[in-house]
Amino acid sequence: MSTLELVELELDGARVRALDSGGVPGSDAAPLLYLHDAEHHPGPAPFLEALAERRRVIAPEYPGYGASEGGERIAELSDLVLYLRRLAGGLDAAPLDVVGHGLGGMVGAELAIWCPQLVRRLVLVGAYGLWLDDVPVPDPYTMSPDERRRAQWHDAGAAPEQEPMLAVPGVDDEHARAVLRAQNLAMSTKFLWPLPERGTVRRLHALEAPVLVVHGEADGLVPPAYAEAWAAAVPQGRVELMVGAAHLPMLERPTDFVAVVERFLS
Amino acid sequence: MKFHWFAEVTYPDLPADFPQRHDSSWVDIPASLADPRRVGEVYRMFVRLMVQADRWGFDGLAVNEHHQTSFAMTPSPNLLAASLASMTERAAILVIGDSLALYNPPTRVAEELAYLDCLSDGRVIAGFVFGTPMDSTFSYGVPPVELRDRVNEARELVLRAWREPEPFAFNGRYTKLRYVNVWPRPIQQPPPIWVPGSGSVETWDLVTDNDYCYGHLSFSGLRAARPVVEGYWDHVASRGGNLNPHRMAFTQICCVAPTDADAERLYADAVRYFYTHNPQAARFLAPPGYHTPATMVAQFARGNAGLSAEDRRRAASGEMSFWEYDEKGYIVAGTPERVRQRLRELAVDLRVGQLIATLHMGDLAEEVAAMNTELFGREVIPYLRDLWADEEDRWTPMASQRRVAAAASAPAAASAPAMPGGGGA
Repeated sequence: MSTLELVELELDGARVRALDSGGVPGSDAAPLLYLHDAEHHPGPAPFLEALAERRRVIAPEYPGYGASEGGERIAELSDLVLYLRRLAGGLDAAPLDVVGHGLGGMVGAELAIWCPQLVRRLVLVGAYGLWLDDVPVPDPYTMSPDERRRAQWHDAGAAPEQEPMLAVPGVDDEHARAVLRAQNLAMSTKFLWPLPERGTVRRLHALEAPVLVVHGEADGLVPPAYAEAWAAAVPQGRVELMVGAAHLPMLERPTDFVAVVERFLS
Repeated sequence: MKFHWFAEVTYPDLPADFPQRHDSSWVDIPASLADPRRVGEVYRMFVRLMVQADRWGFDGLAVNEHHQTSFAMTPSPNLLAASLASMTERAAILVIGDSLALYNPPTRVAEELAYLDCLSDGRVIAGFVFGTPMDSTFSYGVPPVELRDRVNEARELVLRAWREPEPFAFNGRYTKLRYVNVWPRPIQQPPPIWVPGSGSVETWDLVTDNDYCYGHLSFSGLRAARPVVEGYWDHVASRGGNLNPHRMAFTQICCVAPTDADAERLYADAVRYFYTHNPQAARFLAPPGYHTPATMVAQFARGNAGLSAEDRRRAASGEMSFWEYDEKGYIVAGTPERVRQRLRELAVDLRVGQLIATLHMGDLAEEVAAMNTELFGREVIPYLRDLWADEEDRWTPMASQRRVAAAASAPAAASAPAMPGGGGA
């Protein structure tokens, strides 16, 4: 039974969607804010359900993604951070634990830097946001579907035909899916194009929350060298390298992923 | 009807197996494939050909902007335009165009086009382009989702910089300037403005609402172009826009020769080089956000109307014969009589008043391109001048219109063009 419910919120006149599991009776664990990656919101995936057993999980869909409005107001990273600050404030859920995946990691780090009172602990999963000249991040926008699959999955052959994602009403044919995908990725270019680096490294010294860096050992989108780079750049960071996983450890190794995150948060 | 001389400044010496070894002639093509001395020869050849076109009665000389490609080695069209502005007398200098999002600050475009307008004595056409995905988003790194906004803001800045008599401050989202006071100013106030596009409905709105000249600059030929151009005119009509054919520019590769057999003999290899040595990799063609959802929906609705995917593949792989390229509309080839007739049909059919005749392609020899230019200028243009003659043309500079007309009415001094390649009389 799914505890995650799709809710629609209104923020500054724009309707946005989120999955929200609601509070867990008897639990005093901090609520968890899940920030999705550049392609799409994962929907009520098993790893989110598992995390929601012990705490309230809130997983917003970014403005301009899927069926969430307000993308035109988000021009750059700081706009998205401010949006999340307002969202968290409206949910009366602070302080939060934040789990950010890919683009969501970059956003989560900025959120923790700018709103330290809001973020208790931070988990970065295959996070974009740093740049190493010696290990350039591959261009995610030029990959064929097959290349992307191999970059994201340790065992691409066992990957599901379609990645789990938050369904969008009315998107039920190939053309509509292509338009939706382009719309989502177009939003992501505001933060990741041409290189996924927006000066975050200059600000990381001010990231006060403890950071767990979870990284698939075979991540083909954000090379594993970035895991060490993140951990070295923040005041309190450590790395958990996940075997048998690439860019989607939460989908490919959900049990291990949840265990690692639970250990860090408790 | 107006005729503008044009060619992509293509590197002519890529190896024969280039298409097998590389999937893209853009963005990441190895620079080692080109010899800079050879590139210089190519540049000098194009200047010579376009100076010649000016003498043969062309209405405009078109230059364009591309980046990181062997297909068109013209990173700044204004540089080539500067050579032409000082070496020609009559034809318009058709800059088609400056990629507005790629100049920082965009007042650079206002300055350089004004310089060209002064140097050419008022013969500049100001073309503003978004740039292909390969140029603007991959080579120059502009986020595709910002490109249209950036171009629009830059266009407003350039036009205002030409118009305002006093210095002004410009607080744009992408450009902030305390003092805008461009020197020099253009002679024309302002130069005619052309905006080419590839079927985006937003561009159709822009050119319709501002009464600019639209351009369909593709080399995929008449069949592929028809749904787009017809869609454009329908859009203009539905928006109550100006249906003057001089508001529509169209590129067409033309291969003119004394006989049809000469045309095949002289041009077939170069046409094949042009179409086979410019592979465009799918990974660079559609970055997310480059096309809006509205344009994507319109593109899906048009589908492959006009030209099948198989035809496109065969054209790009060189499997098409010379005359099949001609039949499908990629090229218009043959005797002047044949070319005239085909172009008349095309112009009437698509309501085109500005033909951008592409008279050099691929690795064509200079003497063949020179013959093409002369035959086109002498045996084609004069026979099509009646087309749209009763429609005013506010999209070609008055100075060049006057000078080209004056030269055309002067006594002809030309002799029969020499045919290259020992083809006989």
